[in-house]
Amino acid sequence: MSRLGRFQGRQILLVGATGNLGAALARSLWEQGAELYLTGRNETKLSLLSQELDVPFCLVDLSTSEGRARLVDQAGLLDGLVYSAGVAPLAPVRYLKDADLEACLHLNTVVPLILARDLLKSKKLKTGSSLVWISSIVASRGVAGYAAYAASKAALEAAARCFALELAPKGMRVNCVAPGMIQSEMADEAAHRLSDEHVAAHFKAYPLGLGRPADVASAISFLLSEESRWITGESLPVDGGLLMGLSSSGMH
Amino acid sequence: MHLKKFIEDFEEAVEDVESGSLSGETVYRSLEVWDSLAVLTVLSMVDAEYGVRLKADVFKRGETLAELFAVVKELSTL
Repeated sequence: MSRLGRFQGRQILLVGATGNLGAALARSLWEQGAELYLTGRNETKLSLLSQELDVPFCLVDLSTSEGRARLVDQAGLLDGLVYSAGVAPLAPVRYLKDADLEACLHLNTVVPLILARDLLKSKKLKTGSSLVWISSIVASRGVAGYAAYAASKAALEAAARCFALELAPKGMRVNCVAPGMIQSEMADEAAHRLSDEHVAAHFKAYPLGLGRPADVASAISFLLSEESRWITGESLPVDGGLLMGLSSSGMH
Repeated sequence: MHLKKFIEDFEEAVEDVESGSLSGETVYRSLEVWDSLAVLTVLSMVDAEYGVRLKADVFKRGETLAELFAVVKELSTL
């Protein structure tokens, strides 16, 4: 398979490579010529993906400062960073556990910020590099049971806008992709906590049907690429028209 | 772990049912308040109060609160 493509020779760190979205993105970026460096929590999956693509990986616990320091130390000089790690505790606020809330805000919001900060301070981000953080459509919509997750993603989007302004003079960009529910482990986990009827109704609400990891990977690739060189501080919904549909129905 | 306390916790979770109106024989899925949010709320209540992480398909395994309690009791380590 040809490795010539728009990312040829470009070094991209992919955090959260072992989920469905992360793995789809890794394969897509690899096919477009990227020189990837992978991280994730699942050693088996990470190792298999690394072997499949013949790219290096780093197994670290990003919730610890030691883990993040090791990743920053081992990362090369980067053209791009994608942060796709995250957790989504699903519970009404009345029964939201302290530990779940704190872990969600830490992994989904604090860690991507700290990691970006540390890469920046270590001069591991090239001039013109692009950072893409994975948000969610719940950052801009109220959805019962998703308070922790929505808060973490809304905060991430707000931080991205501020960070984008700080990095703009260096030609660096920071953007978010905000997917709807796609075929993924996170969706499977959510489905276990919801009734069949609720899940079926949710998926039926997507005007373009159920999304695949590859659909979101394409949007991430665009934001990593030079084709989006004049876009920063934005959050791009990739939701098969869900938000648009909800807005339209709300007007009638 | 007692059925009486579990029923009280269930009533508090789903709200909008009169306290003390439910019993072990109550078919909870027939309650007017039983909807998708109630499903999530009861699962979350069981997780928070009993340390048992159930999946939504547990509600297909029984009909009454006593049957639901039996599942929770079986899985709980508290």
